[in-house]
Amino acid sequence: MTMKRGWIAAAVAAASLSGIGTSAVAESATLKTVQERGTLLCSGHNGSYFGFVEVNDKNEWKGLDIDLCRALTVAILGDPDKNQIVPLSWAQRFPALQSGDVDVVIKATGWTMGRDTELGLQFSIPYFFGGAQLMVRKELGISSASELGGGTVCVAAGTTIERIVADHLKAENVEHTMVSFEKTAEVIGAYKAGRCDAYAAWGPSIAVLLANQFEDADSHVILEDKLSAEPIAAAMRQGDEDWVDIVNWMLAALIKAEELGVTSSNVDEMTANPPNPTVARLLGVDAGMGERLGLRDTWAREMITAMGNFAEIYDRNLGEGSPYKLERGLNNLWSNGGVLYTPILD
Amino acid sequence: MSAAPPTIGGLERLKRRAFHKPLDGLVTLFVAALLAWLAWQAIDWGLLRAVWRAEDAALCREANAGACWSIIDARHRLILFGLYPFDEHWRSTSAAVAIIATVILSCIPWFWTARRLISLWIAGFATYYLLMEGSPLGLEQVTTDKWGGLSLVLFLFSSVVLLGMPMGLGLALMRRSRLPMLRWVASLLIDFIRSLPLLTTLFTAAVVVPILLPDWLQGDKIWRIIIAFSLFFACYQAEVFRGGFQAIPNGQYEAGKALGLGKWQSLGLIILPQVFRHALPATINMVVVTFKETAVVIIIGLFDLLASAQAAFGTGDWVAYYMETYIFVALIYWAFITSLGRYGEFLKDRMKQDDH
Repeated sequence: MTMKRGWIAAAVAAASLSGIGTSAVAESATLKTVQERGTLLCSGHNGSYFGFVEVNDKNEWKGLDIDLCRALTVAILGDPDKNQIVPLSWAQRFPALQSGDVDVVIKATGWTMGRDTELGLQFSIPYFFGGAQLMVRKELGISSASELGGGTVCVAAGTTIERIVADHLKAENVEHTMVSFEKTAEVIGAYKAGRCDAYAAWGPSIAVLLANQFEDADSHVILEDKLSAEPIAAAMRQGDEDWVDIVNWMLAALIKAEELGVTSSNVDEMTANPPNPTVARLLGVDAGMGERLGLRDTWAREMITAMGNFAEIYDRNLGEGSPYKLERGLNNLWSNGGVLYTPILD
Repeated sequence: MSAAPPTIGGLERLKRRAFHKPLDGLVTLFVAALLAWLAWQAIDWGLLRAVWRAEDAALCREANAGACWSIIDARHRLILFGLYPFDEHWRSTSAAVAIIATVILSCIPWFWTARRLISLWIAGFATYYLLMEGSPLGLEQVTTDKWGGLSLVLFLFSSVVLLGMPMGLGLALMRRSRLPMLRWVASLLIDFIRSLPLLTTLFTAAVVVPILLPDWLQGDKIWRIIIAFSLFFACYQAEVFRGGFQAIPNGQYEAGKALGLGKWQSLGLIILPQVFRHALPATINMVVVTFKETAVVIIIGLFDLLASAQAAFGTGDWVAYYMETYIFVALIYWAFITSLGRYGEFLKDRMKQDDH
């Protein structure tokens, strides 16, 4: 433990001394710390956060954010288990990052201006977009919010959701009645009792609710259109750009792999016989993937072998392979109607 | 029942007390019916219609299903042990048993000498630490961030009381000292800590201290929290002791002097035993409150009983059964706190006997 903090203190000191202008070949101080420690320190939760950070029956962490941490661990250290997931509360995550208790915060964290500037954080490219969504009964035959004309929408009072839904429906010129309730349970009760045609809330939460608190889950549908999008990204300490590069390319490689059709099951095949130069580069058949980040050339291949591409990780934790069955929607590739994209892999 | 006067039978007594006037009778019947109905609801939901086994979890979703205890069956190891590695749970169990045994043994009057108590506690804590951490015994190492659930709560609680009690006594003595410097320092510390919420104190220890202190002074988060929590406990306990000291008339000190006892002798032989007796009810209260307040550590990311309970139902398959989980956790807390309370009663009775 003391070794760890020693290195981090040294790293932080070095980073602040050298200022902004680090040379192009400079190695990330955080990366060096992690490699010498042999363990990556990630953020967990003090409890569970549906689909993102959970604990399974074997007392092990699981979830989308945990899998991303494991992917990062493979990328750096070659083994998904060489990490330590530190349980942190919401309030604690940024101080813990600043004090070196964790190397990166991957914890359903929204990218906001305040965090980016005042808190001295740096964010990765977003890997998830969550926003207000609507649930309706299937029998209404509605497939989009714009068809809700004349309907009643139930929502929890005093939330940002209320305003977002009102703004969206107003902009779409949809006539509607908004009914707000104090507690989430009351909103659900009202929706179940048929007092309203639609229920509005944070998309992933509706999915959890639908999967677990509705006996007739099949007769409801979550409308695909997201009325708002909050970008969820990994947070890091300011001042170590090379570390941000590594986290960014870890996410980019997972998304790129999906785009290129590389999965955990065909990765060996693809390596033996790369269909195009980008795949060859991604899987480390051609050199260039590792050196520029200070990692092994094969890091992305190992990562995909161990964890799968982004689609596999999503399906396992939030999608078809999970109890939530959350549609990809915005979190699909740009080519499939979503907003996920990657920088160019040259 | 034997205490009742022989002339009035049980039925007669009931009649006099509950059915004295027609209105009394109505109220009695109404309340009794209400209680019976509530009890029936609870039994019906919690026992008769309940689903018990993890394999039967699908039955919980049926319309007439009652409590879904399947979640406890499936997830009790998560609730009790937190993130502790699954295959090593016997260690966490034994460690918790060691701590409970230590607490129970030190409640037995035979152990109440300084040497016996100190050796007992050192043995108890060493057993706990060696089992939980593991590496000195050649077992797989489990770092403190993986400690959790009930065994963590027990460890936090007993460390805090164990460290806080002597610290509290020390502070109380300092506050009564004739040296102004000591008195001043103690009052300042006590007033300062008591004016801060526990949460602030713990948050400072967990989050702010690592930013301020050099590495070699920091230690693990769990130790920082135990020290901060103990300090908090000590400051309150010092005031409890102070009340005990104030209840002792000056004559007792003078008597000590008259017997030719030195200052520390008279303190140890005459004053402190009486202070403890006066402070006992308030002390038991402090101890019980401390047991419950350990739940606050969830905020600073320790995986205590409540956090692991939240993790137990915090997954898609079990999210609907939070009520069952909280009832289970409440029963655990209830069992421990009731035992503490009963023990306090025993101590009070025992001290009464000493008076004769």
